[in-house]
Amino acid sequence: MAVKFFGQFLVEKGVVSREILLQAIELQESVNLSFGATALTMGLLAEGDIEKVHNAQRTEDLRFGDMAVKLGLLTNEQMMQVLGRQKNTHLYIGEALVKVGALSADQLPALLDEFKADQAQYATDKVAIPAGVADAPFWEMLADLTYKMLTRVALLTFRPEPISTAQSLPAMEVYAAMEFSGDVSGRYFLGVSAVTQKQIAREILKEANVDGEPKEVLDDTVMEFVNVVLGNVAAKAAQMGKAIEIAPPELVEAAGEIQAAAGQSALRFPVCLADGDRVELAVFIK
Amino acid sequence: MKKVLVVDDSISVARQLEKILTDSGEFQVVGHGKNGMEAIRLHQTEHPDIICMDMNMPGMDGLTALRTLVALDKNVKVVMVTSLGGVGDKFTEALRLGARTVISKPFEADNVLKILREL
Repeated sequence: MAVKFFGQFLVEKGVVSREILLQAIELQESVNLSFGATALTMGLLAEGDIEKVHNAQRTEDLRFGDMAVKLGLLTNEQMMQVLGRQKNTHLYIGEALVKVGALSADQLPALLDEFKADQAQYATDKVAIPAGVADAPFWEMLADLTYKMLTRVALLTFRPEPISTAQSLPAMEVYAAMEFSGDVSGRYFLGVSAVTQKQIAREILKEANVDGEPKEVLDDTVMEFVNVVLGNVAAKAAQMGKAIEIAPPELVEAAGEIQAAAGQSALRFPVCLADGDRVELAVFIK
Repeated sequence: MKKVLVVDDSISVARQLEKILTDSGEFQVVGHGKNGMEAIRLHQTEHPDIICMDMNMPGMDGLTALRTLVALDKNVKVVMVTSLGGVGDKFTEALRLGARTVISKPFEADNVLKILREL
């Protein structure tokens, strides 16, 4: 039901053991070298050059290869050679499992097809992000995965509204939020009415009636929903080559509108529910 | 009946897991910790057969607690139950630290029971 990677899928199915998976991952780690290590083995960079690039990356957000070119340590052509080598020698987890003897080469295609079918429900659909917003594919994935979780976890029927940038979020009865940081950083918000909060609570708690539940429990279900969304966003982000860390979810105590901090803007992607209610969804981009 | 300790800062997840485990008639939830420190304390006092633990918790997180639990008891059976299960690096780190497996959220009751039965 969640976003998974292939090795996890195989362990869950009982096709491979955790010990064998770890062996295969260790093999991958020994073969799939970083850009710097690959350039080193190709004789294009020296140890000292790698340190220079790392130092420069502390003050400017550039990928290793781009920074090496900027510093004059590599030509564009050499950078492409290193990337080509990395691509050609990359060992995928399925191949690594074959190499350690956990799977036969004949088994692999069918298992990959099964995995793709399992994860097809989380393939990112097209979502229109406003022009000029950096990291658009990431925000597109985040908005789309939120929609999918609203449908599959909260069982809500809705129509997404156009995505826009804003400086504030409208007042809602309950807001839960979560900080995330890494290759992309921001603060995620989900705002709901008391009625929609109960729908989320029913599905998270698997209880037909939540009318007698204390506010603390109802609020917790909204925070847990945010936790599930952002954890799965982190998993999808990893598949896109972006690493993000998430903080524990929080309840936002706000009397009215939520204002973006100076220098930040909000990317709003609210949805209109079938009963006319609304769910406010947004990210304050850092 | 196997004794299970649930460690998650979310009350709703703890309730959901407790319901699944209790309804099965095969497991008894013997405690609920809200962070890694409580996991370590409850492991010492309740002696659970299995610990179901979240990764992302305030205070001591699940992976830090896992490291300590394995150092204290090399036979401890910890299953991480987390929304971060699909992040390859987190999954791998959990297994390397000694977790028996990782269950991703949202989880399904049948899958949780199948995994715990096999431990």
